Amino acid sequence: MDDALISLENVTKVYSGGTRALNEVTLSFEKEEWVTIMGPSGSGKTTLLNIIGCLDLPTSGIVRIDGKEVTGVGQAALTRLRRENVGLIFQQYHLIPYLTALENVMLAQYYHGNPDETKAVDALKNVGLEHRLDHLPAHLSGGEQQRVCIARALINDPAILLADEPTGNLDQTNGNVVLDLIQRLHKEGRAIVLVTHNPDISGIGDRTIRIVDGNVEQDSKPGGDRNGK
Amino acid sequence: MFVQLLRKSILRRKSRFAMGVASVLIGAAVVTALLTVSLGVGDQVGQEFTKYGANLILQPQSNTIEIGLPGINMGSVTEQKYINESDLWMIKTIQYRANVLGFAPFLYQMVTVGDGPSAQEAVMAGTYFNKTIQIIQPVSPQDPSEFTTGIADVSSWWKVTGNWITDQNDTTSAMVGSNVAQKLNLTVGDSFKVGYAGAQNNSASSNVKELKVAGIVESGGAEDNQIFANLPVAQDLSSRPGKVDTVQLSALCVRCPVEDIASEIQGKLPGVAGTTIKQLTNAEMGMLEKYQSMMAFVTAVALLASTMGIFTTMTASVAERRKEIGLMKSIGAENRSIASLFLAEATLIGLIGGITGYGVGIVLAQFIGLSVFSTTIPLKWEVLTVVIPIAIGVSLLASALPVRRATAVEPAIVLRGE
Repeated sequence: MDDALISLENVTKVYSGGTRALNEVTLSFEKEEWVTIMGPSGSGKTTLLNIIGCLDLPTSGIVRIDGKEVTGVGQAALTRLRRENVGLIFQQYHLIPYLTALENVMLAQYYHGNPDETKAVDALKNVGLEHRLDHLPAHLSGGEQQRVCIARALINDPAILLADEPTGNLDQTNGNVVLDLIQRLHKEGRAIVLVTHNPDISGIGDRTIRIVDGNVEQDSKPGGDRNGK
Repeated sequence: MFVQLLRKSILRRKSRFAMGVASVLIGAAVVTALLTVSLGVGDQVGQEFTKYGANLILQPQSNTIEIGLPGINMGSVTEQKYINESDLWMIKTIQYRANVLGFAPFLYQMVTVGDGPSAQEAVMAGTYFNKTIQIIQPVSPQDPSEFTTGIADVSSWWKVTGNWITDQNDTTSAMVGSNVAQKLNLTVGDSFKVGYAGAQNNSASSNVKELKVAGIVESGGAEDNQIFANLPVAQDLSSRPGKVDTVQLSALCVRCPVEDIASEIQGKLPGVAGTTIKQLTNAEMGMLEKYQSMMAFVTAVALLASTMGIFTTMTASVAERRKEIGLMKSIGAENRSIASLFLAEATLIGLIGGITGYGVGIVLAQFIGLSVFSTTIPLKWEVLTVVIPIAIGVSLLASALPVRRATAVEPAIVLRGE
């Protein structure tokens, strides 16, 4: 567990309304590992992603990223950890509608403190959007918006890429393009944590975790369960 | 990147930004208009107050000598004293000289009007109607060397049938009180003879004058029983050249009591005592205070309305951009980055609203000046240096709570799909 990129020890998350989203979850994610998280709606997988991505803190338990304890740090430190370690890919893409593709990518650089247009152009070239640099999100297809989102997630070279239903809003062709891209990034050495409902995708990764009612019900690698189930 | 982000986010929400600017504009326009008016029409307000008449009377200090034997009081005698007309210019050399709006000297005497058995006694007052006084030693080089004043400045409420005397050298015209005119059956244009009652045994021709009625005065007061002529006429008639009994003075002092003006004049003009007409002074001060309170109240209401307008605009803007704020935070924006974006927008709203509000306020000030004071108001650039910081301040203050809400947006909302 010491070599783990992300580790969760007895992590519980209870929301202010009393909803128990995660219940004593203990998990670890290795460097360069692709983990797919599955589960029905309301099972706690988004909460798990929020905590892994330093977007939220657990009510109790310990979270470590690259050996550093995340729990107990302030909001500003959490923002720094997120900025330096995590890239986020959203189902809804979440691009700023009044900024061009290039500017959306550069915004992540700006918050990281190192805007570099050449690097941002290269990131968009890398996802096949060199001809769409100055287009607003409204003028891009869903697949193209998702690729801008991926370029933005990668621009600061994070160790972990978190993807929340990255193909959920895309047709099969565009979905395959995006998945191919994520696979390529994984091969380049990035850890991927991907949340999906789609059972076809669950087989792509190194490991699949199934969450039900805030508990880890299944944690399996192709060819054998990690937790012995 | 910050400027690009700010510019594009404003351009995307042009109408909301315009609403914010409009809110500031209203407050800035009212502040500009009232400040410009109050700075520009101070003199006009003063002139308005002269309509209420004199509020300070100068009289010679008299020496009263008690007479009698030890233990037996036989009364007192008062030595007749005068103010020297040649000293009057010194009134305009006091520290509060700008607050002296006008004055008129008076030399009173009992005169016989008419001849023979129909002759009547009346009080005649020599005064200034429209006199230009030379200020022999102005206090500063910026001060004017002359001052034109007269009874019209301290008794402008008089109802006059016919004309005012306007020529300071006119020694043949008089203005007659309405009661005197009625008793002597005088109308405008009639001539009448006046003789100084105290010189009945004196045959000097200067003690009888023939005067022509220029106007008939109706004031509802003692003036209705008096005859008014230029001061030299009265001085000549009673052989008291250069002498004055009293001076009525219209003074206005916003930041100091009229008593201060009275005591300053006493210091400058030897042997003169100043008495304030408290009731009038207090009423004038009260009116000025009410005028200032009303302006402060209107300004406060306008600024409150601006604050509410910006607060509503910024609150709506933050609510609309909640997802965008969450996204910015999720990709690494710190609270200060989010706050600076909204505060920069608020500053721009304040700046643009302040500048446009200043322009509108100037127009509004001219409208107030023309409709209330019948004069245009001079442009006051210093008002801009007050209005812009107020506009930006109000905009930032009103944005404080919405900005706090913006920084409280959790980045996790982008994944929760709220």
